[in-house]
Amino acid sequence: MRVVIAEDLFLLREGMASLLKEHGFDVAEAVGDGPSLLRALTIQRPDVAIVDVRLPPAYTDEGLRAALEARRQVPGLPVLILSAHVERLYARELLADRMGGVGYLLKDRVFTDEQFTDALRTVAHGGTVMDPEVVAKLLARRSSLPPVTRLTDRERQVLALMAEGRSNAAIAQRLVITEKAVSKHCTSIFAKLDLPPSDDDNRRVLAVLAYLDS
Amino acid sequence: MGCVESVPKALQRWLRALGWAGLFPVVMCLFLVCWGARPWTWAVVLAAAAVTLLAPAVAADLLPVALIGFGGYAVVLLRRSVTFPPGSGTTTGYPFHSVVFGNGLPHVVDLSAGLLMLVVGAWLVPRTIGVHSRLARRNSELLSRVRRLTITRVDALDTATAELRRIERDLHDGAQARLVALGISLRATERLIKTNPDAAVALVAESRENSARALAELRALVRGINPPVLAERGLGDAIRALALDCPVPAAAEVDLPRRLPPPVEAAAYFAVAEALANAVKHAGARSVHIRAAHAAGVLRIEVTDDGAGGADPSRGTGLRGIERRLGTFDGVLAVSSPPGGPTIIVIEVPCAS
Repeated sequence: MRVVIAEDLFLLREGMASLLKEHGFDVAEAVGDGPSLLRALTIQRPDVAIVDVRLPPAYTDEGLRAALEARRQVPGLPVLILSAHVERLYARELLADRMGGVGYLLKDRVFTDEQFTDALRTVAHGGTVMDPEVVAKLLARRSSLPPVTRLTDRERQVLALMAEGRSNAAIAQRLVITEKAVSKHCTSIFAKLDLPPSDDDNRRVLAVLAYLDS
Repeated sequence: MGCVESVPKALQRWLRALGWAGLFPVVMCLFLVCWGARPWTWAVVLAAAAVTLLAPAVAADLLPVALIGFGGYAVVLLRRSVTFPPGSGTTTGYPFHSVVFGNGLPHVVDLSAGLLMLVVGAWLVPRTIGVHSRLARRNSELLSRVRRLTITRVDALDTATAELRRIERDLHDGAQARLVALGISLRATERLIKTNPDAAVALVAESRENSARALAELRALVRGINPPVLAERGLGDAIRALALDCPVPAAAEVDLPRRLPPPVEAAAYFAVAEALANAVKHAGARSVHIRAAHAAGVLRIEVTDDGAGGADPSRGTGLRGIERRLGTFDGVLAVSSPPGGPTIIVIEVPCAS
């Protein structure tokens, strides 16, 4: 799996590159600023890109903007955004094109390599991974807007784990229920959120988007 | 060439700056005309010139006095000069024309000169008074401005000092303590790694936990000092992010096409955050509406909630703190919160974008 890394801190960039190599990823290019990221993404067309939100030259949100621009040029280009903080605002912008293949994680998650590489693979395969902190913020909010109010508590738990990018098997394990029960909950969630029948990955992206917009 | 040309220009500028005051020494030259070139008349004229140069404002004040004085003198002496015909002795105290033109010219010259001076002098009097009352008003305005600046500066210093103390305490009790713990457990791990690998692994897990907590605390701290989304996107998106994170539905209408000065953005951000927190925590609001716009050099933000109302900025420390922070930028905070709601909080900060 070919990866492009955009991170301005040399230590973190090299650390991530060696961690990924250990796990069998192929680091196609590692860049340190916004313009070279956009160039690398459009030329290399990696299977997945790991992008720090804040990059030189201006240290604002160059990384995020370069990633969004690259996805405009290469629709659905899988991007995992890393940041020292998470904002629902950015999560929404990332999901706005409804193409999936998007991840948004705190930099801290890199420490736990299994979680990190799992997330990377999920994103590369078109899935959606939101940081537990984004999801926690959603849970803290008393969702009073339909259609999320139509969900039962259990369905909301499933949706939250879905937003974190977990597979049905992982959700089943976490909630200590059978995988069959999870897929039943999923069907019910998709129906309540008025999501038209399509492939499961796409519906999961749309469900997470509806959740973020609630 | 430029030098030669600039002399009359400089003179022009100087005369314009001097204004009516420039006429004062000219009028005072009438002393020389009326009483002849004597030491005391020269002294008076030179004194007038000196006053004009050193204190043009005083000269401008004295000008109407001089004009009315000489005008009155000319008009009165006209009558006297009829009683005491010219040529009867010294010219001292005689009407102007007898000195300037000799005695043959009609008295109408003195009369018209005197009347002209009286009219101009009288015309200048209300203007002079007007200038003084304007100055007095400006003076009192400046005094109250200085008083306000003194208060807000003290407030700003107090706030900054309290902020620094809080940050120091948070760092000391939080991240710093965790890093110390991290160092200690790493040291212990180093010792245990060969003798008791299982315990070492447990310690490493604990260390990782500690570093994750330190990061989380630093993140929260940074958010309280300068929210990252504010630094990255500016006030507009930062307000949208606040609205998104608000536990109750919050609509944000933002019209801020350009970035504002960072300190103003930060003060406005924390004002909105405080207003939202109050709406949720104290008023029990079910929905909030935020409107933010920058027009005619004023940033105006309005936060309306449908909660219980009854907010009093003089009681809560939160709103008071926001008021003080905004005060540093001459910003104001207005709260309308009748019992039963709704609560409307308006902040206005003058600033260029």
